[in-house]
Formats: sequence, structure tokens, C-alpha cells
Amino acid sequence: MNRSKNMTKKISYTGRRNFLKLAGPFALLLACPAYAFDLFKVIDPEGKNSDFQKAKQALDGLTGIVQSAEGIDYKSEFTIGETLALEGFQRYGLPVKNEKLQAYVDTLGNALAKNSIRPEIPYFFVVVDTPIYNAFSCPGGIVFISSSLVKGMNDEAELACVLAHEIAHVAHKHALSSVRRAKFFEGAAKIGTLNMKGDDGKQFRDMVGNLQTVLFDKGLDQGMEYEADQSGMDLAYRTGYDPNGLIRVLTMLQQKQATATSKGSWFSTHPPLSSRLEKCDQLIKNYPDAAQMAEVKNRFMSYRNTM
Amino acid sequence: MKRPLIFSSVMAFLFFFLLSFGFAATTLYVTADNAELKTESSSSSDTIVELKRGTPVTLVTTEGRWYQVTTQTSQTGWIYRGKVSEEQPDIEESGDDSAGVGGMLGGLSGSDINADAADSSRSIRGLSPEAKEYAQAAGTPKQSQDALDSVISRKVNEKEIDQFLKEGKIGEYAD
Repeated sequence: MNRSKNMTKKISYTGRRNFLKLAGPFALLLACPAYAFDLFKVIDPEGKNSDFQKAKQALDGLTGIVQSAEGIDYKSEFTIGETLALEGFQRYGLPVKNEKLQAYVDTLGNALAKNSIRPEIPYFFVVVDTPIYNAFSCPGGIVFISSSLVKGMNDEAELACVLAHEIAHVAHKHALSSVRRAKFFEGAAKIGTLNMKGDDGKQFRDMVGNLQTVLFDKGLDQGMEYEADQSGMDLAYRTGYDPNGLIRVLTMLQQKQATATSKGSWFSTHPPLSSRLEKCDQLIKNYPDAAQMAEVKNRFMSYRNTM
Repeated sequence: MKRPLIFSSVMAFLFFFLLSFGFAATTLYVTADNAELKTESSSSSDTIVELKRGTPVTLVTTEGRWYQVTTQTSQTGWIYRGKVSEEQPDIEESGDDSAGVGGMLGGLSGSDINADAADSSRSIRGLSPEAKEYAQAAGTPKQSQDALDSVISRKVNEKEIDQFLKEGKIGEYAD
């Protein structure tokens, strides 16, 4: 009886000791993966302790994901965005040939981005020529909006709310989070450089392919869309626009849904309009003076009429 | 005899508790990229100082869409409400692209943003070499490459944004 008690005590003590050994690196891993590996080097410089080596291997696999999802550097993020934008032009169409309209949308988007939760990066906004109702954002800040979606709007607040929704996706890194388990990220954490022609290039293209499926066909996670609606309305409001603009756009889309193309549109890549409208109706209560905020109908119509 | 004493003690405690809450200073943080602290609650008034993102300020009072605030250096002025929040913003650390191991597509080095450098180099260079290489490998039509090149070469400056907001009477420029 006593022996068994002692044994249990010993096992639990050993378990606790092992746990404590790993607790440091694990805690550090969550805070900063690179330091966790440095700590392994300090504790077990020659790599003789098998417990540490096993833990290190486990963390090594995990780190590719942690780094790619949370700590991806801006330059890499933007390059992924560039490649996705190249695919976007092929999928949806080229920029509308109207420099004044493009400059107008780009200026509005940048005015909003300055107040976003991620104002440090540059943003680019482009209207593409397509009959499909859609808007999407590439990682790193390139935002697409379709000409038909702009044509369906009636004031600047509506356009501001849609652009703000897309800015929110960029700021929250939603697209990248959706493909965080792509093999490319695991490899890239170790390879350092990328050769587009080799296996790394293939993994990169596969990852961009996955991103295309997410952004152009399946759509992002519904929770991300609702988060972007909330952040977008808030961003539009803080900049000075009426956040009801988003509700008006969603209502317009609801009316068009029966006759519009669904494939690759907001209808197929976003949650049902009825549930989004329901949530937005709740959110708008946070802005009691929303109706007094700017709509800017005349300026918007002067540009829309040139399309 | 004891009861009134307990009652008055509780009331006194409640009074001071509520009083301290009433006068508790509200700390706000600048959330916009740059925010101007104005002498009056109007965008046309003089600028006292430009406050950086993340700067804490103490709320003094409100007037319409404007907040009167005091900075940690004891400068008091007015700021547009959309530029501050009670929540402290997450600020991505600036880094030097050339100092790290590079990007994932040239090395993964954690979060490093040097938006100004990226911005200025892009406006000269257009498409990144990696994106060009991808376009070549994926057989992307030249039209799409040119389209992206023109989009990311466009640059909007602060002055243009201010002018845009002023013309539309938006935010701090509203009547």
C-alpha cells in the first residue's frame, strides 16, 4: 500500500518535473516561437536529452503554422496578395478604364484605411470590369470591387462600407488564416528562399490555388465575414460615414439575388444576406447618430454616372 | 443606536465610491495613423500637435463629435472622436526589411513592416520580382501583369485624403 503510494507520488513528481521542463518552451512558443528554440539550445546545448528533442520536434512542426498565421512578414504577405491579384484579374476582369473613377475609389479607400486597426500598410483599391457582384481583398492590402457592385450603389457611404469591410479582412489577415495549414508555410519556415520552379514553387502555387478557392468560390469562414461587417461598419462610422450604408448595399443585393449570377459572387462567397442583415440591424443600434453621418450622394453619383 | 451608525457608514462609503467613479479619468488612445490635436472643436482651428497612433490621452469633456483631451505632456486640445478609442490599438512593430533574414519568399523573419520602404520601392519598381517569377511560371497574361503594375504604382498622399474629406464634409470636416 505504502509502496504503491510512493510510486504514485514518484510518477506524479516525475510528470510534474517533465511538465515544468516543457512549460517554459511552450509558454515562450506561444509568445515568440523563435525564443522557444533558443531556450532549447540553452537548456540542452548538445541535444542529448531525448525528452527535449521530442518536444522540439513537436514544436518544430507546430511553428510553421504559428509563424505563418500570426507572424508572417508584410513583404511576404504582400507578395502572396500580388499573385492572388494576378489571378483575380483573370477571373473577374481587368480594371475599368476610367482613371478618375479609379482615383476616386482609391482615395476613399485610403481615407478609410488610415482609421483602420492596421493603418501601417499601404492599401490599393481597384474597380474591375465585370457583371458579377463582388468585392474581395488580397492579403497585404489589394482590394477589388466589381463595376456592377459600384453601379448598384447610390451614395459614397455605401461604397465606404463595402471598402471598409474589405479593409477589415486585410487588417484581420482573414484570408491567410484560412490557408494557414497549407504545406507551403511549413516548408517556407525552414527554406528561407523560394524557387518558383522547384517543389517550393509548386507548394506556393498550390497555396495560392487554395486561396483562390477560398476567396473566389467557397468564401471565408462565416465568423470572419460577420467580424468584417462589424469592423467595417465601425470603420466607416469613425471616418465619418453613415454605417447604414452597409445595410443598404446588402438590401440592394438581396433584391438582385434572384436574377444575378451566383458563381464567384458575393452571393456564393458570403453568408446568407438575411442573416447578415439581421446582425447588421443589431449592430447599427451602437451608432445612435448614424443617420446624421455623411452619405455624400452627389459626388458618388457624379463618378458612377461616368461608368 | 448602532443601526443608524452602520447605515451612515454604508452611505458614506457608497458616496465616496460613486464619487471616485464619477471623477475617474477616462483614458483614450489614438487609433488613427496620425491625429491632430486642435485648439478648438473644429478642423479649421490651429493644430497644437500631431499625435501618433497609440498615444494615450485623458478625456476632459465632449462637444458633439469632438473630444477635449489632455496629453501626457499636459497639452490640452480637441480631437475628432473617430481618431480615438478606449481600446489600446495593436501596433505592428516596424522593422528593417534588409536587417532580418528577409521575407518568407526571401526568408521568414516574423512580423516586420516597413510600409514606407515597401511603398516607395514599389512605386518605382511595380510588381515584385517574386510576383513576376510567379506570373512567368503560371503563364499569367501580360494584360493582368500590367493591370496589377498600374494598381500598385498608384499612391494617395495625406494632402489628397484631407482634400477629399474636406470636399465631402466628412468626419472632422462635417458642418
